[in-house]
Amino acid sequence: MSIDTGRQASRSVEQATPPWALAVKRNGSTFGLLSLALVLAMAFSAINPDSYATLLNVESIAFSIPEVGLMALAISVAMTIAGIDLSTVAVANLTAIFIAWYSRVGVEQGQGQLTATLIAVAGGLLIGVLCGLLNGLVIAKLKVAPILTTLATMQIFTGVAVAITRGEAAYGVTDPLSSFGYNSLLGVPIVFWLFGVVVVAVWLLMTKTKYGVSSTMMGASRTAAEYSGIAYTWVVTRTYVLAGLISAVAGLVLVSRTASASAGYGSSYLMLAITIAVLGGANPFGGRVAVVGAALAAIVLQLIASGLNMMGVSTYIYQIVQGLILVGVFVVAFERKRVSEAISRRRRRANAQTSQTNQQKEHQK
Amino acid sequence: MPLALQAKGITKTYGGVKALTEVDIDVRAGEVMCLAGANGSGKSTLIKIISGVETADAGHIEMDGVDVGRPSVTDSIDLGIQVIYQDMSLFPNLTVAENIAMSARVKARSKVVRVQAARSIAARVVERLGLQLSLDEKVENISVADRQLVAICRALALDVKVLFMDEPTTALTWREIDSLSRVVEQLKADGVAIVFVSHKTEEVFMMSDRITVLRNGAVVKSGAAAEFTPDTLIESLLGYLPSEERQLSALPVEDKAPALEVHEIGRNDLFEGVSFEVGAGEIVGLTGLLGSGRSEIAESIFGILPIDTGEIRVAGQAKPIGSVQEGIEAGIGYVPEDRLTQGVILEQSIESNLIAASLDKVSGRGGFLDSGQMARASQHAVEKLGIKTDNPANPVSSLSGGNQQRVVLGKWMETEPSVLILNGPTVGVDAGSKAVILDILRLTAEQGTGILMISDDVPELVSVCHRVLFVRRGRMDGALEMDEVSPERIRERLDR
Ligand SMILES: Nc1ncnc2c1ncn2[C@@H]1O[C@H](COP(=O)(O)OP(=O)(O)OP(=O)(O)O)[C@@H](O)[C@H]1O
Ligand SMILES: [Mg+2]
Repeated sequence: MSIDTGRQASRSVEQATPPWALAVKRNGSTFGLLSLALVLAMAFSAINPDSYATLLNVESIAFSIPEVGLMALAISVAMTIAGIDLSTVAVANLTAIFIAWYSRVGVEQGQGQLTATLIAVAGGLLIGVLCGLLNGLVIAKLKVAPILTTLATMQIFTGVAVAITRGEAAYGVTDPLSSFGYNSLLGVPIVFWLFGVVVVAVWLLMTKTKYGVSSTMMGASRTAAEYSGIAYTWVVTRTYVLAGLISAVAGLVLVSRTASASAGYGSSYLMLAITIAVLGGANPFGGRVAVVGAALAAIVLQLIASGLNMMGVSTYIYQIVQGLILVGVFVVAFERKRVSEAISRRRRRANAQTSQTNQQKEHQK
Repeated sequence: MPLALQAKGITKTYGGVKALTEVDIDVRAGEVMCLAGANGSGKSTLIKIISGVETADAGHIEMDGVDVGRPSVTDSIDLGIQVIYQDMSLFPNLTVAENIAMSARVKARSKVVRVQAARSIAARVVERLGLQLSLDEKVENISVADRQLVAICRALALDVKVLFMDEPTTALTWREIDSLSRVVEQLKADGVAIVFVSHKTEEVFMMSDRITVLRNGAVVKSGAAAEFTPDTLIESLLGYLPSEERQLSALPVEDKAPALEVHEIGRNDLFEGVSFEVGAGEIVGLTGLLGSGRSEIAESIFGILPIDTGEIRVAGQAKPIGSVQEGIEAGIGYVPEDRLTQGVILEQSIESNLIAASLDKVSGRGGFLDSGQMARASQHAVEKLGIKTDNPANPVSSLSGGNQQRVVLGKWMETEPSVLILNGPTVGVDAGSKAVILDILRLTAEQGTGILMISDDVPELVSVCHRVLFVRRGRMDGALEMDEVSPERIRERLDR
C-alpha cells in the first residue's frame, strides 16, 4: 500500500521528542498528582514549619492513608467498568467487626494467637468476597444499576453489622494484628507497605491480565466488548468481587490500627473515597484504569487533611474543601477540551495581531 | 451561481502527520459538490475545520465572500453551516424527535425541553423529506439506516445555507439512497449548497455537479462531474486503478466438511426455515433488502440472537451456540454492521482493539497477557491490512473511518476463525482499500476459512463470491451459483 509517508514522518517526530517528555505526556495525570503532592507538602511545611514536616506527622499521615486509599481503590476499580461501589465502607466495617469478634472468640476457645489471627483474617477477606459477589450478581444478573445496588447493599451490610454488634463497638484484636497495625518497617508503617503491595497487585491485575483488559473494554463500550466475545456477567462479577476484597483489606487495616470496630465507623469516608478515586483519574463513565492515580490522590488528600487540621480548621471546612476538589476535578476532566480550545483560540488571535503589527512595522520601515 | 462558501489555504497537522496542506475548496448555492478522496486523505478533517469542531493551523473561511476567519461551532451554526458527521453523533438515549429538534434548540439557546415542541419540529422535517420514522422511538433502538436518516433530519431542522454530508449513505441500501437523492434535489432547488462525501462511485455521479479530489491532504483535481468518468475519478484519487474484476479464490481440492452448515434455523419473528452451507475455502454472498433478516441471520449464527429452532454445524460438528463466547469457541468470527458501536472501542488503543477478540490467544499462565505476543499480533494485523497509523498505541478515534473498518477486520482475522461472517466489510472503505480487503478475503478463504459475506455492494459480491444467496422477508429466496453470478442477475433478483 502506498501510505507509508505519514508513518515515517511521524516516527521522526517521536524521535525528536526526548524520552522524558514522552513519558510525562503519556502519564500526565500521574506526574500532575505527584507534583501536586510535593507542592502541598512544601506549602504546609512552610505554614507550619515546626510541626508539619516532622517525622511524627509524616508517620501519622502514612498511617492514615491506607484505609481510605484502599476504599478509593475499590471504587476506582468499579468505575473502570462504568460502575461504582458505595458499599465499600460498609464492607470494611463488617470485615473489621468479624476480625475483632473472632480475635476474642478464637483466643477464648484456646486457639493460639497465630491460628486465631489467620482464621480471623481469612474469614474477614471471605466476607469481602461474598459481599462483592452479591453486588456483582445483582448488577449483572438482575440488571439493577450499580449505584442503586451498592446503595442498597451498603444499607444491608451496615444493618447486619448493627444487628451483630447491637450497635456497640467491638474491641480488641490479636497480638499479631495489633503489631501489624502499630509497627513500622524501615521507618514506614507496615500497613502502608501492605497498601503499596495491594496497589501494585491491583495495577498488575488491571493492566497486565486478560481480566483487566476485558474489564477496561467493557467499561469503554459494553456493546463492542460483547461483540468481541467478552462476557458481561463474568467481568462484572469479578470486578465487584475484587472491589469487595479490597474493601475487606481496608477493614483489616482499620481494625488492626484502631483495635476496634463498629458499624458506624468512618461514615465520612465514602465521600472522601469517591473524591480520591475521581481525582486519581477514574472515569465514572468507565474505560479508564486509575490505580496508581488513586494511590497518589489518597496521599494528596491526606496531606491536605493533616495540613488543615494543623491549622486548626474545622472538619466541616475540610468537607467543603473535599467537595470543591470533587467539583474542580470534574470541571477539569470534562471541560478540559473546551478550556484548552478557548486558550489556543485566544493565543492565535494574539499571534495574528502581533504578526499584523509586525507587518505594519515593516511597512513603516 | 454565487459562491456560498470558500475555504482558503486550510492546513492542519496532528502531531507530526500533515492531514491537510493548503487546501482550497469552494461551493456554490444550489449545487452539490462531491469531496472525493481515499481513506485518510483528510475529507472529514476539512469538514470538521469548516464546522469549527477542529481548528486549522492556517487558512480561513469565507461565507458569501465575507471573511469569517476560523469559526467556532456556534459561529458556524449561526452562519448556516450544518454537518452530518460520519459518526452521526446522535444521542442514543433520546428519542428520534428529540434528536432531530436538538440543533434547533441549541441554536435558539433554549434550555427547556418541551416534548411537544420537539415533536412538532421533528414532524415538520420528516414530512418535508417524505420519510417514515417513528418519532417516539429511542435512537438506540432503531436501525443504522434510520439513524442516518435521523442525522440528516437533524441537520435540516434549521435554516441551512451550506450542508456537509460526510458519508451519509454508508448504511443505506439503494432504496433509501433514492429517497435521499430526492431530498438533495429539493434542497438544491431551495438554493442550499451541498458538500457530499462518499466512497460509492455510482452515487457520486448520481448526485454531484462538481467533484473536488483530495489526495494525502491536498487538492489534486477539481472540476465538473461531467469531466470525470468512474475510472478517471478513482484513478485521480488513488493514483492508480484497482481491478474490480470477478476473480475467484481457488477452492480446496480434497473433500472437507463444510465450514458452516445451518439447517432449518429460525428465531421468532425474525426469520425461519433458513438452510444453507458455506464450504471450507468458499466465499458465499448473502444479500437482500434492509429488514429482510440478513443481519439477524448472521447475528444468530454468531450467538448474539441465539436461534430457537434448527441446527448449526461448524466444520462438520453440531454446535449449540447460545452466546457470543460459544460462537467464538465454535470458530466463528463476525465483523458487525455498525462499526462505531459494535465494532470498535473508539477511545481504546488500536492495539487493544485488534486483540479484543483473541485475548485467550495472547494470554499465558494465570491470565497474564504476553506483551510480546500482543505487540506481534497487532503489528501483524496493522501490516496485513495496511492500517494507516504511526503508532498502534494511539486510540482508534485518531484513525480515519476506513482505517477503523480495517481494525474491525483485523480483530477477527487474528482469531483465525473457521467461519468468518462479514456484515458490510467494505462500508466506508475507498476503492483501493476495498480491492486490498477483497484480496485478503480471497487469501483467507484459500487457507480454508469459509466466508459468509453480507453486502449490498453488487460489484463487490460479483468480484469475490463463489455463490450468492438471497434473503427475503426472513426466508431464503434462491441463489446464484458460480457462473450465474453477474451484476445484472443480482440486481434483477433484488428488484423483484
Ligand atoms: N485526532 C487525530 N489524531 C491524530 N491523527 C488524526 C486525528 N484525526 C485525524 N487524523 C489523521 O488525519 C488524516 C485524515 O483523516 P480524515 O478522518 O480526515 O480522513 P478521511 O478522508 O475522512 O478518511 P475516511 O474516508 O476513511 O473517512 C488521517 O491520516 C488520520 O489518521
Ligand atoms: Mg472520514
